[in-house]
Amino acid sequence: MTYQRPLQALAVATALSLSGAAQAHFQVLYVDDTALPRAHPLELAAVFTHPFSGGPTMAMGTPLAFNHISARGEKTDLRSYLRPVQWHSPDNAATAYRASLPRELVRSLGDHTFVLEPEPYLEAEEGLYIQQFTKLVINVGGVPGNWSEPQDLPVEIQPLSKPYANWTGGVFRARVLADGKPVPFAKVEIEYLNHPVEFTANGFAKTAQVKAPQASFNVQSTYADDLGIVTIGLPRAGWWGIAALDIGTKKTYQGKTLSQDAVLWVQATDMQ
Amino acid sequence: MNTTAHLLLAAALLSAPAAFAHGPAFDCYLEDAGGVKCEAGFTDGSSAAGRTIQVRDSRGKVLLEGPVAADGSYRFQAPNGDYAVTFLGGDGHDATLQSFDITQ
Repeated sequence: MTYQRPLQALAVATALSLSGAAQAHFQVLYVDDTALPRAHPLELAAVFTHPFSGGPTMAMGTPLAFNHISARGEKTDLRSYLRPVQWHSPDNAATAYRASLPRELVRSLGDHTFVLEPEPYLEAEEGLYIQQFTKLVINVGGVPGNWSEPQDLPVEIQPLSKPYANWTGGVFRARVLADGKPVPFAKVEIEYLNHPVEFTANGFAKTAQVKAPQASFNVQSTYADDLGIVTIGLPRAGWWGIAALDIGTKKTYQGKTLSQDAVLWVQATDMQ
Repeated sequence: MNTTAHLLLAAALLSAPAAFAHGPAFDCYLEDAGGVKCEAGFTDGSSAAGRTIQVRDSRGKVLLEGPVAADGSYRFQAPNGDYAVTFLGGDGHDATLQSFDITQ
């Protein structure tokens, strides 16, 4: 038995390194394409997960709000379109939400913003709640619109570049806001959606797109500048999540610490 | 250029509207009770208000013509038979949609 102990210790150490602080929680709000030549019905997925490692995925409660904001600023409650699904990650399965939106909702030319306000998630090990207000912006027909306008959320990331028109290798700028005001030096994490979404399987692909040389690379960490502006690179095509952590004024929920985070998803496209 | 070639060119332009610094963006869809709503604009965000929209029959005869409204829209009742809707965006920036391509 004694000769097995080092192996057991190694196994424990490996497990720790995979599940430790090198992974970030991200509320994913996903659609296949964000820049549509013409509108078509949209399939959306809302999954609370660790996007670089493709999981483990956390069970979502019923979202508190899910809105569509049109190019003209009209807000539509989309909660009736949400349906819970078991979302399959390489490691586990957990409750997530999908929405099948008819073409009529997004057929107008211009920008369409989707905002998800999840129920706070209890991170039992740390004894705190996490609530990530998440935005996704798509465009129909190439007519620019209100993509850079804040949506009056308690916490949000205001795009300063079009979130749906980014070449791979470009930079993306955004401003971190809490109650509509910039948050200087906000802590920001950036993570690549490394396991592609497979709608037919209600899950993430088992195979990762890229392999990190070391755990620090799973999530990039940076800070906003003194004006609350954050600039990131987009070194690979696909989806990049940007999260500004614990920037809300509301700090407790049901007697426990609450971290209100703001998330924005940006799609990068190869030049070809 | 004959009408068919013109429509094909317009369709090609429409299929890649964002390729122009100032290109036309145009789409139409069916509303209730046979109404068609079109939206016209430009990829640089400038307004198409006052620009002309034409509705033609399959032989190219103009059935309806009118200006784009301040909100970028143009509404009409769908005529019988096949038709095409053209947004005259100026400077060759025309965009045309065929009725078979206009749905809800």
